[in-house]
Amino acid sequence: MLSAPSRGAALLRSSQRVCLQCARTSTTITRAAPLAAGRRYFASAEAVATPPPSSQTPPTQQQTRTKTATSPQQSQSPAYRIKSGIILTRPPLLTREQTPFESAFYLYQKRLNERLTAPFRKDFYFKKDTASDLDWKIKLKERHGVPAKDIGRYNPRGRMAWNDEVLTGSTTSSPENVLEALLADAEARVSEDGEIMAPEERVPVERPVPRKTEADEKNDVRRLDRALDRTLYLVVKREVEVGGKKEAIWGFPTGLVHTEEGLHETTARVLAEAAGVNMNTWIVGRVPVAHQIVQPIEKGEKPEESKEKLFYLEYLKEQADLKARGVKSEQVEERGEKIFYLKGRIMAGQADLKGNKHGYTDFQWLTQEELKEVLPEKTFKSVRNMFDLR
Amino acid sequence: MSSTLTTALRGLRLTPFLPIRPSVTLPSIPSRPLSTTSVPLNKMSPQYLAAKGLNKKSKAKNNAPRQPNFINMLRHLAVLSPRRIPAPLRMARNRYLRHWTIHRAWLMYRRKEREAREKVWMRQYQSMNHACEELRLTSGPGSRDEGSLFRTALEKWGVYGLKGVPIEYTRAQTETPARVAWNHDWKR
Repeated sequence: MLSAPSRGAALLRSSQRVCLQCARTSTTITRAAPLAAGRRYFASAEAVATPPPSSQTPPTQQQTRTKTATSPQQSQSPAYRIKSGIILTRPPLLTREQTPFESAFYLYQKRLNERLTAPFRKDFYFKKDTASDLDWKIKLKERHGVPAKDIGRYNPRGRMAWNDEVLTGSTTSSPENVLEALLADAEARVSEDGEIMAPEERVPVERPVPRKTEADEKNDVRRLDRALDRTLYLVVKREVEVGGKKEAIWGFPTGLVHTEEGLHETTARVLAEAAGVNMNTWIVGRVPVAHQIVQPIEKGEKPEESKEKLFYLEYLKEQADLKARGVKSEQVEERGEKIFYLKGRIMAGQADLKGNKHGYTDFQWLTQEELKEVLPEKTFKSVRNMFDLR
Repeated sequence: MSSTLTTALRGLRLTPFLPIRPSVTLPSIPSRPLSTTSVPLNKMSPQYLAAKGLNKKSKAKNNAPRQPNFINMLRHLAVLSPRRIPAPLRMARNRYLRHWTIHRAWLMYRRKEREAREKVWMRQYQSMNHACEELRLTSGPGSRDEGSLFRTALEKWGVYGLKGVPIEYTRAQTETPARVAWNHDWKR
């Protein structure tokens, strides 16, 4: 473990002085790599000091340290491939539903407020003998002279003003009843000429759109106007052949990070390649919000014993990829993966998998609970901490 | 004339009765030895008000008709006068106990909500923290050195400023959805 002064000394010892930006963006890799290694502003001693975990007991926890490259050979062909994924979310469009306690409390507070406020001053709001004045008078009479519209049958200025509590089981405070009361009040009772309208002449006001949409009723998981008070997450399906049988894996859109890219650039590229450009999205930050590590399979290690089945499927897919590209490694049978997830928000549009380059065949917009059933367990466990409250 | 007098005196009805002293000098304000604040008008004795010319009776000298906006203002002030504002709530023992219970329950509910929210924030922060730590100790892709991706991720070009957050993202949550809840046909 290096102490702070010794790190500074290491900094001074580096003979060639190139600024960090130049060292990073330099295209001549043979020069840039040793330079940047000499100019390190962060602690890397801890990683070197940790011994690599033995292959007999593979780590099960996500947070355990990954197998570090110890020999120079291995650092030439690293044991991990770096991927970047996007967790594209649709934020909730609606506020959450009121709990019964909340609505009851609001009614209680409204009635107390009516008991304590100055009397309603009609002349200030309605000019005398106008249509709106007549309208107000009619409605006020129907409410038994109480100006408040949504407090039920209660007179805060009368003899029974003390009786401001509703009985158990009363539905006066429920949001539906409040909505009905407000809608009934919004209806015009007097025509523009000041004529009182008959009940059949009255025009009902436009009702607000219900919170449950058509997609909710049909449970159409591909539409974005479902579960409007929840966060929705985009997941895509891949089909992998295992022993001549096709198996489906759901996951977030991910792709390999190219050498010249940062994570956020990869993420934007992967999203456009996988789900099309017709989405108004915003990648919230450049910092990953979650990560997932797939341990590499070493020589002589049987993946079925140590890995879960779904993960093995992923390995098979990657192996096929590697064979196709002719990549071989000396020490590792199969390279592991580090997937860094960035968070994205969608504001408009819809995913379109037509002609995507990643072999995705299907997509869904799911809530967190539905994600738990669809995602492989390890993927879910590694991303669940980034989920929002609802 | 007598009606205006009664109107003027109505506000004074509830004030404690002060015995009229047979005095020719200016009647004094009831003494409040420990008070430093000035006495409100309706607490002063009628003789004092009359002598200072603050009484309504003495003020209404001319009987000219009042302007409508002046009447309007008087009415407004009449509504806001302490006589019309309801008295503070007084509750009996059980009623007050219920009120207190409701109040405590509400505070507890708020606290639970707040703590749940804070827990989520902590979880999210930890998740980001672990991901960043892993990224910092990762070398690659290709031959890029350890932590290079981490440094790129921490760069702040274009993060702040007017174009940092898209304007569509500032949409507030509502109680009921729009007529068309989501624009599925949005095209770039």
